[in-house]
Amino acid sequence: MEKEILEQGLNHNRRKFLSRLSLGIGSVALGSLMIPDLFNGKQEAEDGLMRALPHFAPKAKRIIYLFQNGAPSQLETFDYKPLLTKNFGQELPDSIRGGQRLTGMTAGQSSFPLVGSYFGFNQYGESRAWISSLFPHISSVVDDLLIVKSMHTEAINHDPALTFFQTGAQVGNRPSMGSWLSYGLGSENANLPAFCVLLSRGKGNGQGVYSKLWSNGFLDATHQGVQFSNSEDPVLYLSDPNGMTRDQRRKMIDQIAAMNDLSYREFNDPQITAKVQQYEMAYRMQTAVPEITDTSKEPDSVVKLYGPDCLVPGTYAANCLLARKLSENGVRFVQLYHQGWDAHDNLPNQMIGQAKDVDQATAGLITDLKQRGLLDETLIIWGGEFGRTNYCQGKIMPENYGRDHHPRAFSIFMAGGGVKSGMVYGETDDFGYNITENPVHVHDFQATVMHLMGIDHEKLTYKHLGRRYRLTDVHGKVVKDLIA
Amino acid sequence: MPKVSRIAAILENLLFFWLGLALILSVAGESLSIPPILQVLGRAHPLILHFPIVLLLMAVVLLWVKDAKLRELGTWTLLLGANLTGLTVLAGLLLANEDYDGDMLVWHQWLGVASLGLAVLIYFYRNKSTQFVKFSTASLALVITLTGHFGADLTHGENFLLAPIQSEEVEFVALDDAEVFQHMVKPILEAKCVACHKEGKVKGELRLDDLAGMQKGGKNGPFVVPGDLKESLLIQRIHLPEESKEHMPPKNKAQLTEEELEILQLWVESGSSFDQKVAELPKETPLFQLASNRFSNQKNYTFDAASDSDIADLNNFFRKVNPVFPGSPALEVAYYGTSAFDPASLKELKSIKAQVVKLNLNRMPLEGVDLAFLRDFPHLEELQLNFTGVQASQLANLEPLESLRNLALSGNQLGADAVEALGKLSQVKRLFLWNSGLDKESQDRLQQALSSAHIDFGFDGKGVIYPLNSPKVSYDKVFFQDSMELILSHPIRKAEIRYTLDGTEPDSLSSPIYTAPIWVKKTGEFRAKAFAADWIGSLPTKDVFFKAGIVPQSYRLAHEGNGRYKANGASSLFDHEKGKTTHGSGNWLGFNESPLELEIFLEKNNSPKEISISILLNETAYIFPPEKVEIWTGNQQNWQKIPETESTQSTKIEEARFGVLTFPLPETGFDQVKIRLKPISKLPSWHPGAGAKGWVFVDEILLN
Repeated sequence: MEKEILEQGLNHNRRKFLSRLSLGIGSVALGSLMIPDLFNGKQEAEDGLMRALPHFAPKAKRIIYLFQNGAPSQLETFDYKPLLTKNFGQELPDSIRGGQRLTGMTAGQSSFPLVGSYFGFNQYGESRAWISSLFPHISSVVDDLLIVKSMHTEAINHDPALTFFQTGAQVGNRPSMGSWLSYGLGSENANLPAFCVLLSRGKGNGQGVYSKLWSNGFLDATHQGVQFSNSEDPVLYLSDPNGMTRDQRRKMIDQIAAMNDLSYREFNDPQITAKVQQYEMAYRMQTAVPEITDTSKEPDSVVKLYGPDCLVPGTYAANCLLARKLSENGVRFVQLYHQGWDAHDNLPNQMIGQAKDVDQATAGLITDLKQRGLLDETLIIWGGEFGRTNYCQGKIMPENYGRDHHPRAFSIFMAGGGVKSGMVYGETDDFGYNITENPVHVHDFQATVMHLMGIDHEKLTYKHLGRRYRLTDVHGKVVKDLIA
Repeated sequence: MPKVSRIAAILENLLFFWLGLALILSVAGESLSIPPILQVLGRAHPLILHFPIVLLLMAVVLLWVKDAKLRELGTWTLLLGANLTGLTVLAGLLLANEDYDGDMLVWHQWLGVASLGLAVLIYFYRNKSTQFVKFSTASLALVITLTGHFGADLTHGENFLLAPIQSEEVEFVALDDAEVFQHMVKPILEAKCVACHKEGKVKGELRLDDLAGMQKGGKNGPFVVPGDLKESLLIQRIHLPEESKEHMPPKNKAQLTEEELEILQLWVESGSSFDQKVAELPKETPLFQLASNRFSNQKNYTFDAASDSDIADLNNFFRKVNPVFPGSPALEVAYYGTSAFDPASLKELKSIKAQVVKLNLNRMPLEGVDLAFLRDFPHLEELQLNFTGVQASQLANLEPLESLRNLALSGNQLGADAVEALGKLSQVKRLFLWNSGLDKESQDRLQQALSSAHIDFGFDGKGVIYPLNSPKVSYDKVFFQDSMELILSHPIRKAEIRYTLDGTEPDSLSSPIYTAPIWVKKTGEFRAKAFAADWIGSLPTKDVFFKAGIVPQSYRLAHEGNGRYKANGASSLFDHEKGKTTHGSGNWLGFNESPLELEIFLEKNNSPKEISISILLNETAYIFPPEKVEIWTGNQQNWQKIPETESTQSTKIEEARFGVLTFPLPETGFDQVKIRLKPISKLPSWHPGAGAKGWVFVDEILLN
């Protein structure tokens, strides 16, 4: 018996253990075949993603997003509500308000008197869309527009709402829409950034824009939006100092590259090669950017099209013209912000000024792209971060009133880039307060925009802090009705 | 062990019972009428069939082994398995009477019976010879596998097993080629219906796996009646509540999605045609809209792809070569960077000439460049040549491009000669000719020659007259000592700037034209307007500038500014710090309740000739010119009041702006000046705050 026990023990020797272990290893190997990314680094997985993008044939190649910062009132622009004029001064019924929260600015108000648009409305184009008299030029291109009257958002204050629109989340630190597109699709033109940002400011009550709105978040820093300056020199520090010739600059860059190459050979740090590439890109931008920002060769008719302000650097019109030039040179995403729409008081007056800033240049941009045969592949988006209330904030008079923030329903429009044209989508109730038909949430809008660019918004993800993030978080549905 | 052998005997006998039943039902099953209780047994077929399969396969293995004990176990397993096979076959034959039909059923049925037969045979001849046992058990394993396979195909659909590893060829359908039935309706039927309505499993006597079956309909009526939603059983059944027995697809099976429901309904509504093309549908129909979302408007290219290395070689900083979307053989090429453009590089595209469908050469200098290379691009569909300097003579090279659909030639001074060359491009559907030097007559001629093409001549700006924007004025400081340089500019170079220095509105005839920087020597209000042909004159640019004057010895304010608008007291009025147009900027003294009352003490024998008061105007903020300005000069004893002049009041709401009130002072010697500015007591009736008291804002007082 003892002998048998001893033999039993001997049976479990190292050789047996190892030979059985080999079976185990084999099964692990077999299992890993079914998990393709198990042993791959993140880098390779991303490369694979890049090769697969766009996910399908895109309808739009580029986007120009004309963000109207501060939230223009839908009730003075695209959402015609005669009832508000008829019921001037009457209380907003509780049944319509439906418990909607208020901002700190009107929370103390004891009454919420309805107020209608100071500006008249007319119907235009094949869609018979109602547009107010503030936008004579935009109404003239109505057949190219897709007006969405049923946008809604979750935030009620500017910063979270803006951040939500641009990054898909109300908190900061997520990549902006342009950064996602840069990450997913890259740049068309290797001599320019894929994502550019242009700022302008109207005379109306303004709200800040912050660089977090064009931040790359957790994506690589190359996907950050490049903010152009408002001055005559849109990209600062790009021109060579006086007395330095192109050749000298070339030589300098070559010398630095040679030195960097030495240290690369010593340390093998990929950051060094990245740096060399950045110097090269800056060198190429030195010729590419002046070609684009030079407006002196624009024909007279272009100046008339955008309005003469398009030659005054830093204006919205100039930014529209610059946006067209960047876009036609292959910049994937041009983001404009025009500040000054936050009309809590003196709204009619403020709207007149703001509309004057944007009306002609916006319509001009659409026409300009169209006459170059580029509108089909360029998506234009115009809109703010939320809408404005149908009741008056502060003192009420038919010709002078204010409106507070309203997230439940507001209007934006799009043009070109594979969206339907000459259409009005969605409807609000007679009070212009709630959506009655075809609501479009901000995440739906984002999903749709991604779709137009050939991207499945559920598939463009980035792993960060142990979870996969995407622009639309865990929401968003492509609104197919909007796609041509 | 008599008990055991007795059980064996019963089981052995049962085998013959199963064999008999199987035989008779196989032959005469169709004329059988089955009582409901047996129907339940029949439907248990898919449940019990798994037992005999396992037992028989186990038996096969055990009978191959040499160990006698195991073989004994094998025999028992075989006996049990064979009996359960019998039961399963019986159930299967009963089930076969329910809606099953076709070749697959025949194979499954006879292979099942064969399995039973073989199992019985092996059981009784198990001791015959090892060879026989080995051969026959192997055959049994094979027959069982095949039976199972055909059975699975019957329930799960043909090819269920191997589908995942068969190369899934996703059919790429272009919108132009898509058919309503073939590409929209049929895929739904195949995914959700055909499994139960097909050859071999014709539930409700309806077959949806072939056209004849669909046209025939089922036992309850027609599958579809063209254009009639009520009579079409398809539509009826899919819209029943899911709990209903008649609802299709049956509860617990994959249901139709909203979109699928819509497609089926629209298809029947539109006449349930089996060969209509999507492209034939009117564009506004919902069915077309749905289709346009599903199918690519990209064409289905049949030519071979270019090699990856060729594509990689052609990509550089100034040229991008890309498939139109991943996996497509078609390529698009774009050039960037005007100054880096080398016309010779166009020849390099030869290696992908068959694949290029889109070429973007916008802004590349192509004047005089030989475009003959384009003739070799048989599939080129879109060519962008905006602002390239291309001339009419170069356009002949586009004629052989049969696939060319979109041509952009905006910004090239083509001239009337181009009409002939362009007129021959009948293949082009969209042509962009904005700013291309074609007069109205040439445009009409071209549109006539290309009557089916959409030609965009764009916006030429002729006859459209807009106001100019205001000129820009720049200078060093608002307050100057002796003189100051004013530089005017306007973004439109041809614009003419006219200006005045006395606060009056410049006009286009008599006011001086700006040619060189202006030197100003005294305090004043500046106005400039821009004028140009084809434009309406601009609104004036307004500004103020002050000659820094005598610094008083001392001064005293009777009342400090109201509310927040105290600035740094009276000293702010003499600090040469100009306020901004925002009244809260800290440099402005505001007066509302009380008037501005200021006493100024001067050095003897240094009496100024003029007093200027710098004010702010912003009607929106209730800031108006003073209602009344009173000024006295004198010394301790004698006071002399300067005659009051009517000051101009605001007449409408304007943007916030600066103003200057200037008054001459008497020449007689004095060493004190008293000023009283009374705010407007009642805002005018046109103002939103009509009747309320207005404000006066002052930031500087100058004595010269």
